[in-house]
Amino acid sequence: MELISVSGLKKTFDTLEVLTDINFTVCQGETIAVIGPSGAGKSTMLRCLINLEKADGGTIAIEGEPLIKNGVYVEDKVARHVCRKMGMVFQNFHLFPHLTVLGNLIEAPIAVSKLPKAKAIERAEGLLGKVGLLDKRDAYPSALSGGQKQRVAIARALMMQPDILLFDEPTSSLDPLLTGEVLGVMKELAREHMTMVVVTHEMGFAREVADRVLFMADGVIMADGTPEEIFDHPKQQRVAQFIASIL
Amino acid sequence: MAYIWMLIKSLMAGAKYTLGLFAITAVISLPLGLMLSFLRGSKSRVVRGLVSGYVWLMRGTPLMLQLCFFYYGLAFIPYIGPYLAMGRFPAACLTFILNYAAYFCEIFRGGLIAVDRGQYEAARVLGLSRWQTTWRIVVPQMLRVSLPPISNECITLVKDTALVVSIGVTDLLFFAKAAVNRDVNATAFVVAAAFYLLMTFGLTRLFGWLEKKLSY
Repeated sequence: MELISVSGLKKTFDTLEVLTDINFTVCQGETIAVIGPSGAGKSTMLRCLINLEKADGGTIAIEGEPLIKNGVYVEDKVARHVCRKMGMVFQNFHLFPHLTVLGNLIEAPIAVSKLPKAKAIERAEGLLGKVGLLDKRDAYPSALSGGQKQRVAIARALMMQPDILLFDEPTSSLDPLLTGEVLGVMKELAREHMTMVVVTHEMGFAREVADRVLFMADGVIMADGTPEEIFDHPKQQRVAQFIASIL
Repeated sequence: MAYIWMLIKSLMAGAKYTLGLFAITAVISLPLGLMLSFLRGSKSRVVRGLVSGYVWLMRGTPLMLQLCFFYYGLAFIPYIGPYLAMGRFPAACLTFILNYAAYFCEIFRGGLIAVDRGQYEAARVLGLSRWQTTWRIVVPQMLRVSLPPISNECITLVKDTALVVSIGVTDLLFFAKAAVNRDVNATAFVVAAAFYLLMTFGLTRLFGWLEKKLSY
């Protein structure tokens, strides 16, 4: 089943065309790694998916429900409903600094899904256990390391029980040691067949964990294939050059 | 000693107005300033322009002049003037509220700017509405940043209340001046100073406690 389908997606900032013509689909349970040089439009594409950025044309449908259809956005209320099927993890975590770890997790389920507090806490403790941070339950974000913050951010996104998780360079602001613990959690999610779209510079992760790799450059998806096809037998010269330059 | 005791008792009558003016101004102008700071970031250019014009006017003219205008000046406006005239104390309250709301608006605006854009995005992807984002995510963070300058401004407010003596409100300073003139003795000024110090000291402690409470 197709959870995400994107066709003809366009996005322009002033006169700069960031996304020219983006087409791809993501099936249920797939882990997709999006790689490519800086400025290729990877993050912009991801932000368009969850309506943090408005596209200028094309179609995005989530679980068959359009967010934008042939360049026309659905109503705000519908858009919110469509986007609720997705969660997002940011490069800079964006935890709420005035709330404890537990507070960060239970805020949205209580406010948005009207989940009873006791239920929310139960769910939060389960997820904190899963990311290995149950002992940080009552700590404030400022007391956590970058890797811990990102694991809390992943747990926070999971609290809303999304069908799809989007990751925008989740390890780019972490040092290599902390990167490992975050990738570990993501691997675990991939194993459980969480549908994920991961914009990343971690080629090891893309190669090892992703079911498919999208190579983006100049506002288009230049290559779309299995990690073996992209990394070992790249068809396009541009892809081969990029792979060679980073390995 | 008996003389000082007598002074304290007579100054109490004025302290009532000083404290009343302070409390009424703080309670109304703080939320008003908060509202204005949100309007200042409005999408509508007209609303933004109106708010910044308002702040420009209230911050750009002396509080004393504004007091005179609202108490003496309004009545001279053709046609509607007679309906606008009000008593000394209400005029003082109105002036202080309007003036301080402008300052508080600017302080809150600074606090708003300090909240990272990523906070709005995180709240949005979690499905929080704009209202929920504002009250549950933005305001608590903005308050922490705004609290020290708010505390400062409130202390200034206590002392600014003494300006109302110029339109004849019988506040603390009014009674102190009267006592000094009557008794040809400056002790009343010292007692009045003690009153003001007590009030600002209390405020300093209150805000210190609030800051601790809001820290994270």
